[in-house]
Amino acid sequence: MTKMIDSLVTKLTLSFVLLIVVIAGLAFFTTYDATQKALKAQMGCELRSTAAAAAAMLDGDLHAGLKSGDEQKTEYLNIQKYLQKIRANNPNIKYIYTMRRAGEGVEFVIDADYGAEEDAASIGEAYEQGPNFKELMEGFEHNSADQEFTTDQWGVVLSGYSPIRDSLGNSVGLLGVDMDSREVIARQQFIQNTIFYIIGIAILLAGAIVMIFSKTIIRDINKLNQTATKISHGQMDVMVDVKRRDEIGELAESFSRMQASLKIMMNQDENHNKSEK
Amino acid sequence: MTPVTPLAQKVLETTTPYLGPASKIFLDRQTKRHMNGVIFDYLEKDHLPDLSHWVMISAGLLIDKNKAKELSEKISILQAA
Repeated sequence: MTKMIDSLVTKLTLSFVLLIVVIAGLAFFTTYDATQKALKAQMGCELRSTAAAAAAMLDGDLHAGLKSGDEQKTEYLNIQKYLQKIRANNPNIKYIYTMRRAGEGVEFVIDADYGAEEDAASIGEAYEQGPNFKELMEGFEHNSADQEFTTDQWGVVLSGYSPIRDSLGNSVGLLGVDMDSREVIARQQFIQNTIFYIIGIAILLAGAIVMIFSKTIIRDINKLNQTATKISHGQMDVMVDVKRRDEIGELAESFSRMQASLKIMMNQDENHNKSEK
Repeated sequence: MTPVTPLAQKVLETTTPYLGPASKIFLDRQTKRHMNGVIFDYLEKDHLPDLSHWVMISAGLLIDKNKAKELSEKISILQAA
């Protein structure tokens, strides 16, 4: 009796499962990477659209006139209320704010959280340049979005920007919206899990199919083996009971032909011996 | 001894894939024992129905009965060249 570990069923099943795991792994990494990029691009697009829609409604002239200490002015409070309203309507937005150029750098103007959160920025508070500063600066000219997450004192976010324009059409600032990285990561996680489940099910299914397939092959090989063993012990009246159209079927036919020839020759010898006596 | 008539050669060629290298011995025996001592090497067309009948019975004892029937049918429709 062949040991389980030496069995063709085990070898075939393991080989195929290994092959499927390798192919699925390669497919996973390719798909996952492409999906992640597509997801970030899609979220960037969402952020740009949201920022653009919100910035289009802002009065650039009022915004340009705000200066440090104006946080209690009606103009400031009206814009802040507007930003808060946009955020309330878009649950994915974590932060929403406006900025403007200040020398070589950038400063905050209106933060939707000012007055409610301790770490909210006041007018004129400088923004510390991060790795996505290029995309931020592009936001003064046209709609833009970060390619990668930004990590700063307010957490890990993906941001979108759109210019704020005055009545003459000049860019006087930008409106920024930040999406919490947890939201993006949750979406990535969902896609990753879905791919994992699909690959897992495919491996199980393929393993089961290969096992069933190889068992039918082994079953017929075992039949041939048993018949050969009986013949080798002199039991010539056994029949080869394997009917297949593949190579194993051909083997069974060759075996049957060999057995028939042996029987004929053995009978001839017996008859010859009898006639001699 | 190789078959003398082309028909005997054809029967032998038809039988070999089923019964292997001992086919000639088998066919010799069928004609000698069951067909009034006809020598297989001199097989004629008139002998075919009888030979086909005995091949089905005797080969059925050696190989699968369906295969034996298939061989018998093949022999019965053989024509002399």
